[in-house]
Amino acid sequence: MPKWGMVIDLETCTGCQACTTACAMENNRLPGENWQDVLFYSEGSYPNMKLSWLPRPCMQCENPSCVSVCPTRATYQTEDGVVLVDWNKCIGCKYCMVACPYGVRFYMDEKPVVEPDIRAAFPGEGQRSWNPPFRMPDEYEDPSKGIGIQPKGVVSKCTFCYHKVSQAPEGVADLDEANPETREFTPACVRVCAPKARFFGDLDNPESKVNELIAEKGGVRLKEETGNKPKVYYLSGGGAPVVPGKRSTRS
Amino acid sequence: MDEINTSVSRRRFLQATGVTGAAAATAVMGVPGTGLEATSAEAQTARAQPNTVVTKNICHQCPARCGIDVYTTDGRVHAIYGTADHPISNGKLCPKGPLGVYILYDPDRWRGPMKRTNPAKGRNEDPGFVPISWDEALDTVAARLNALREAGESHRFALLYGRGWGASCAGLQGTFGKLYGSPNVAIGHSSMCSDGSIISKKMLDGNAGYNAYDYAHTNYILMFGVGFLEAFRPYNNNMQVWGHIRGRKSPKTRVTAVDVHVNTTLAASDRGLLIRPGTDGALALAIAHVILTEGLWEKSFVGDFRDGRNRFVAGQSVSPALFEEKWTQGLVEWWNVELKDRTVDWAAGITDIPADRILATAREFGSTRPAMAIYERGAHAHSNGIYNGMAIHSLNALVGSMYAVGGLMNQMGPSYGAMPADENEYMDDWAQNGAWKDMPRIDRKGSADGYLMANNMMQEVGPNHLAGNPYKLDTMMFYLTNPIWTAPNGQVWEEALKDVFIIDTSPFPSETGHYADLILPDHTYLERLQDAPTYPFQGFPMTQLRVPAVEPLHDTKYYGDVLIEIGKRMNGPMGEYYRALGDTENVLRHLAEGFRADPGDNGVTDFESWKEKGVWYKKPYIYRQVNGTFYRWDGRDYTIEMTEEEVQANLLKTPSGRFEFRSSQMEANAAWIAERTGRDPARLMFPIWEEPQHPGGGDLFLVTPKVALHAEGRGHNIPMVIAHLQPTVGGRGEAFCEINPATAEARGIGDGDMVRISSDAGEVTARARVYAGVRPDTIVLPMEYGHWAAGRWSKAVPTQHSGECTINQSDRVTGQCNYYTTKVNVTKA
Repeated sequence: MPKWGMVIDLETCTGCQACTTACAMENNRLPGENWQDVLFYSEGSYPNMKLSWLPRPCMQCENPSCVSVCPTRATYQTEDGVVLVDWNKCIGCKYCMVACPYGVRFYMDEKPVVEPDIRAAFPGEGQRSWNPPFRMPDEYEDPSKGIGIQPKGVVSKCTFCYHKVSQAPEGVADLDEANPETREFTPACVRVCAPKARFFGDLDNPESKVNELIAEKGGVRLKEETGNKPKVYYLSGGGAPVVPGKRSTRS
Repeated sequence: MDEINTSVSRRRFLQATGVTGAAAATAVMGVPGTGLEATSAEAQTARAQPNTVVTKNICHQCPARCGIDVYTTDGRVHAIYGTADHPISNGKLCPKGPLGVYILYDPDRWRGPMKRTNPAKGRNEDPGFVPISWDEALDTVAARLNALREAGESHRFALLYGRGWGASCAGLQGTFGKLYGSPNVAIGHSSMCSDGSIISKKMLDGNAGYNAYDYAHTNYILMFGVGFLEAFRPYNNNMQVWGHIRGRKSPKTRVTAVDVHVNTTLAASDRGLLIRPGTDGALALAIAHVILTEGLWEKSFVGDFRDGRNRFVAGQSVSPALFEEKWTQGLVEWWNVELKDRTVDWAAGITDIPADRILATAREFGSTRPAMAIYERGAHAHSNGIYNGMAIHSLNALVGSMYAVGGLMNQMGPSYGAMPADENEYMDDWAQNGAWKDMPRIDRKGSADGYLMANNMMQEVGPNHLAGNPYKLDTMMFYLTNPIWTAPNGQVWEEALKDVFIIDTSPFPSETGHYADLILPDHTYLERLQDAPTYPFQGFPMTQLRVPAVEPLHDTKYYGDVLIEIGKRMNGPMGEYYRALGDTENVLRHLAEGFRADPGDNGVTDFESWKEKGVWYKKPYIYRQVNGTFYRWDGRDYTIEMTEEEVQANLLKTPSGRFEFRSSQMEANAAWIAERTGRDPARLMFPIWEEPQHPGGGDLFLVTPKVALHAEGRGHNIPMVIAHLQPTVGGRGEAFCEINPATAEARGIGDGDMVRISSDAGEVTARARVYAGVRPDTIVLPMEYGHWAAGRWSKAVPTQHSGECTINQSDRVTGQCNYYTTKVNVTKA
């Protein structure tokens, strides 16, 4: 059983947001409710102002605080380590949203990010919050995994494109869009990334490209102090001198 | 929750439906590598796999022409990814690419052909469109055009177009104008696009086109106002290249980017230079000055002093006889009339960039090979754009990057077969000798009293028609352009287009469409069969094909077929010509015949294989300059040395066959240029510095860039775009006016306040975003919103349109519309 993880290389990321829009297309996200967002920051004064950005998917923690707080066990981890939400069990209490240190869980609000509400243009029936003509194939929808059109009253989150990665051939080290054998199983945000700033693979496989990059370029995880143990690593130029993370052991 | 569970239990194995018309280009998706193909019983037992069909198409949201795989299941298009074996997209996409589903399923699309019932036209007039049949629509157009022609006034029909894609759409227009008899069929939008670079390059190297670039092998890129990581085409491939040259290539390519605000390009570069708008030429001249004084020019391409001793010393003239030029012309004369005084300190005063940063940039650029200097509208959309462009492009010659590895090339065309019929056999007397041939173009392109040297002047069509000078148009047709909105000071067009019969062919409502008498809606791109030869990319020839993913959702017709159907209804031999063409599919089949004799690298040899692969291409680019010698590809390597005549015929297409710092073409038009601009006839043929003219009457520069999510012609009505348009300053839901903190404070403007932006052309409001990354003398407002007749989402965005306070001023030589040069007043609203 793989332990899927992601590496995001900030040295080559161009801040284009293709990860955001590809995720939204693949997972039928409402405009602006981004499972995969890119956050922009600026600091300093003219003329020496620094503009920077950080792509932010779900960190798919090994020790996810969202799972431990869920009162109905709607949020759970799969055998291959992906954190999912069972929409059939979720009661929309939002405890998980409070517990998540990374702000990557979403409750569908009545007020849309963009007016007029696209849900009115493509209305759904019953609990189906909307029904876009471009919605994913019926075979991919799986409310027990939080995949498909998000119903009213539940929380949703990045699934690492579980409808894709869970179908991957057994034993592969990486899901690489450049490899025709694994292209269709690669998460949308990784597959689309033009500068190839994203990599997806098995963290338990010492030979995987993701492990190679984490080692070669000094991968770090966000908010290690929470003890959540994210499975998303960031690279920012490589080299040995980096802020040490919990994965490191002091010599 | 029952509904959800019910939907699960309803899962079934659906057969592909509604995807006819694309059979030859489809492939059923399986689960490659697992042995569990989707159609096998075993796979269906393991897990229901969708019966997905993938068709090849070309993205329509910018000029780049990325090959895309369109995923259709149960008749629904639900995913778009880059085509893996397409040379531009390579399986990748920019943020716009996946949003094509929104364009196909836009609920505001026209449903079919319509005619206007309210003769009054204006922003607040309801057109009163009513549905009509295609026959009625096409007959109406043909009757009108036949009558106009019989009255000897065929020149009063104009066809204006924006993004022409290929031979089966815009490629048909020129022939239509030739057979019908109008100098105004067709008028392109290039002067409102980027003719400033095309014509400034033409003056120097003789090629009237955008360059192809070998980014992957360059070690230095110097960018002037290009938005490389936002808008420079091909954006998707630029980002692929960026990952390579900035992350994986050895040595890492160094980048200096010049702009007026900090965008993602400047942030990701090694050095960002914030320049005073319109002064890029001064910076380039100072860099050239340093390259010469410090002896950094590429001697194998430019030549050298005969005795090898560098005599370029600031302020001192040099005798041309001492210098022997190789592939350039006029270097020492340029030095004497201009460059010798263009010191770093001089440029610092003009550009507002510190001298030490200019010097460092110049030394890096001059001493790193290969290096390239690239530029677009930021640099040349000013009254002095011709010279800014010439100065920047001259840097490419000084460092020898023309046609070199890691340098610049020109784009080769595809090996198309012949059209089904030769239009020259269908020319009647009027077509051959009619009085229309003596009529000027409505935009005065090519006229001494207009824009003698320009390619197009679409921005002048509205004002000229309004003035009835040179004449009044009778009928105007539009393809993929919406000038009532996109033209600078479009308010003039709103008035001008009230008294002319208008035919719009957009699939979508638009401001120009709001004035239409007839709507003949096109398919959207995912429904079209359409060719698209590449824009300048890597030089080697390539042409792509759009294959319909689904049957047209509505009663629409491909624009190319609309032209052909109108043509068939024209009297005389013109109608016969279009009957011989048949339809666009027949045209495409004939074009594809050319591939038989010249198969693509990917095995494309005919129409069917073209549909299957979506692209024909043939690598490599066949010319290369190495250390001052030009070679041609021999099939395996660049070994065939080219003569000077061959270089002139194929590459440096100037009268001298060299890269002309002293431009023969400028010199040939010196009297006209001097008369119209007051420029010095002794200097105007060189890349010189000239102060830009900033109209508008205000004190702040208004710069209105296109941003990464600007999906051509439709981004404004895509809610996913609206949610993400301007991420660098948090522009989500609307576009912000970036204003420097000091500038804002002096005007009592706080972050988030509404501001009034006004010029002599008009006034708009926008929300201020106080941003330390923008120059204090400049505001930046993306050109995106302010649509009033283009769809429900764009209408709801509060940001108004930058064009309404942009003055219609153009570069007299290039015709380039000066979009980024107006000065405005900004006050708290």
